[in-house]
Amino acid sequence: MTEATLLELHDLDLQLAEARQAAHVGKLKKLGFEPGERLSLERLRARLLAGVERRWVQHYERALQRYGRGLVAMRERVCLGCFVTLPTSASPGVGESLTLCESCGRILYWR
Amino acid sequence: MTTVAVHPVPDTSLFLPDLKLKRKESVLHEMACVAQKAGAVRDAELLHETLLRRERWCPSAVGKGVAVPNARSLAVTEPRLVIARARRGLEWGASDRVAVQLVLLVLSTSEMSVDSHLERVMRAIAITRTQRNRLKLLEAEDARIVTALLREAAL
Repeated sequence: MTEATLLELHDLDLQLAEARQAAHVGKLKKLGFEPGERLSLERLRARLLAGVERRWVQHYERALQRYGRGLVAMRERVCLGCFVTLPTSASPGVGESLTLCESCGRILYWR
Repeated sequence: MTTVAVHPVPDTSLFLPDLKLKRKESVLHEMACVAQKAGAVRDAELLHETLLRRERWCPSAVGKGVAVPNARSLAVTEPRLVIARARRGLEWGASDRVAVQLVLLVLSTSEMSVDSHLERVMRAIAITRTQRNRLKLLEAEDARIVTALLREAAL
């Protein structure tokens, strides 16, 4: 549950980053789109946050504030946030797909 | 100066020539699944959810029978353009009330910047701005013709 919610939260934050910037909203309008109010997105964010385990929320929010993204994918054992190669021992446990990057502290998505 | 990858190497498996689906939600799901099969997406369900949420905030119909849904998502592993055609037309909530016959799904990875993503969306829209190109896309007999058009248009 936490994993799916965190992934959704991450994508929502990418969208919010766009919705919060007047310049980006302006670009969308110029392209012919009609973006709506972002209030509903902010509400959804609060709802999603409430569904995530507290420890993950703390890591996520801290990394989001610091780097602009709280969660990143892994590719060939490389964190796509800080590009440090992680040791084999950093792999997630069986049935899990989230860990923390030992280098930058972002949440890592291993799928 | 920023360099933006054009939708490049359009993958012929990412062309759906004749959608039978009728609902926008189903079409987006189908396109997300096709992108996953082609290896451009790691999680079609997450992408679908992201696309639907974006549709609610910013409907993707741009008029003249064209919709350009798009997403920057963790679900996307490779930037791709997925094109679908619905000859009968789809109800997409366009402001000009024209049924959508061409759907260009622009997928960007979460590592890409908003500007790069919007640039890619702009290029996709630009392809469909002229009636000539829209007709070419609607009448293309196979994916190779679409690929050639994309290469020609997305300079």
